[in-house]
Amino acid sequence: MSDAYDVAVIGAGQGGLPAAHMAANLGAKVLLVEDREVGGT
Amino acid sequence: MNEGCIPTKTLLRSAEVMHLVRDRSAEFGVRGIDPKSVSFDLAAAVARKDNIVAGIQAGIYKNLDRNKNITFMKGHAEFTSPVDIRIDGTLVTAENSVLAVGSQPAPYAIPGLKEAGFITNYEALKLEELPNSMIVIGGGYEGVEFAQMYARYGTAVTMLGRAPRVMPKEEPELSEKLGDILREEGVDLHTSTEVVRAGAENGARFVLVREAGSERRYEAEVLLLAVGRNARVENLGLSEAGVEMDGPYVGADRRLRTSASNIWSLGDANGGLMFTHRATYDGPIAALNIVKALGREVDYRVVPRAVFTEPTLASVGLTEAEARAQGHEVRVGTADFAGSGRAKAIGLPVGMVKLIADDGTGELLGGHILGPRADDLIHEVVTAMYKKGSAEAIAKSIHVHPTLSEVVKRAAKALR
Repeated sequence: MSDAYDVAVIGAGQGGLPAAHMAANLGAKVLLVEDREVGGT
Repeated sequence: MNEGCIPTKTLLRSAEVMHLVRDRSAEFGVRGIDPKSVSFDLAAAVARKDNIVAGIQAGIYKNLDRNKNITFMKGHAEFTSPVDIRIDGTLVTAENSVLAVGSQPAPYAIPGLKEAGFITNYEALKLEELPNSMIVIGGGYEGVEFAQMYARYGTAVTMLGRAPRVMPKEEPELSEKLGDILREEGVDLHTSTEVVRAGAENGARFVLVREAGSERRYEAEVLLLAVGRNARVENLGLSEAGVEMDGPYVGADRRLRTSASNIWSLGDANGGLMFTHRATYDGPIAALNIVKALGREVDYRVVPRAVFTEPTLASVGLTEAEARAQGHEVRVGTADFAGSGRAKAIGLPVGMVKLIADDGTGELLGGHILGPRADDLIHEVVTAMYKKGSAEAIAKSIHVHPTLSEVVKRAAKALR
C-alpha cells in the first residue's frame, strides 16, 4: 500500500513551490518533497 | 533563498554599510568615525541574514499549510520506477512528477584542492569568523559578489578568474569596468588564470596558478570555490525513472518534459539560465502542462540577469557582439551615470547604460547597465523588449527627475 498522488514535486525551492501551488490550485493532489530547507538555494 | 539570492543580498547590504561607514562616512559629512576602530562582526551579519531567511521560510510553510491539496514531506526522494517514489522509508506513487531539484556547486578538478580544504557559496554564507585572507576561484556571478563582500568586510581577497575579465559573457566594457572597480576597492584580481594545484602548508592554504606564461603561488586562510553549478540529482533514481541527462543537467524539452513522458523538470536543474526568476517562471508552466495538458512552451527570449555588486551589473538580451554575430546591423545608445545628478547625490556616479537596437526595425535587442540599482533599472528595458518594441517609449516618456532612470532614458535617446 502506498499513497497515490497526481503530481509529486521534488524540491520545494523557488521553482518547485509555484509548480506545486499551481498544480494544487488546478485541482491536482500534490506531494511536495524537500530534503533540505524550503525556499531553495 | 537559503544559500543564494536573499542571503547574499542581505550580506552584501552589510558590506555596503561597512564600506560607507568605514571608507566614505567623512565624505558625506559624518564625523567621529575612526576607520581604524571600525570592525566587522560577521556573526551578527549572518544572524541578521538567518533571521530574514527564517521569516521568509515561515511564510512559505504558512502558504503550504493553507493549500489543502498539497502534502508536504521532508526527506530524500528516490524514484524506483517512473511512477514509484521512495521518500526515505515511505513509498508513494505519482502519475506525474516534477524535478525541481535545483543545482549544487560543480565539482572542479584541481589537484590537492579537496585535501587542502575549501568552501563554496554554501559555507561562505555561514562563516562566523571573518577570515584574514581569502582566495576566490571563479570570476562569475558568485565570485564577484563574494569577492566584493569579503573585501568590504575587511578580508584580504585574491580573486582568480579563468576568463580575460570578470563576468566574461557580459558586455565587455561593462565587465571590464566592474573588474576595475573591484581592484580599486582592494581586490587582488587576476584574470586569464589557470589554477593547477592547491594545498595546505603551515596552517595556510595555497594555490599554484599558471598566469601570463609563468607559475605563481597565492596563499590565504580560506579558499572559496565559485566555478559554476550542476543539477542536484545524486541518488534521485533518474535512470530507474527513465530520465536522461543532458551533460550535467536534466534533459528537458521546451514544454519542460523529460525523456520520461510523465516526468517534468524545471529551473537550475535544466541548466542554461540558472536564475531563481527563471525557475519561478518555469514552475506554473510545468504545472499547466501536467494538469491541463496545455503544451505551453517556455519563452526565454527576454530573461534579465543581474550580479549584485555595487555598482550592480544587470542586463537583458544580446550584447553588441552577439547581435552583430546574429547578422543584425545595430545601433548603439549609451549614457554614463557620471552625467546623472542623482548618481552624484548618492555618491555613485559610476558605470553606464548601453542599449542595442536593430538598425532597420529599431527593435531593442539588448540592454546592459552597470550602475547604482541597475538590477531595478533594467526592467524598463525588459518591458520594452518583451513587447518586441523599440526604445521609443523609453526615450519619449517622462521620467521623474532626479532619478537614476533618467540615464536609461538618455541612452534610449542616444539610440535614435
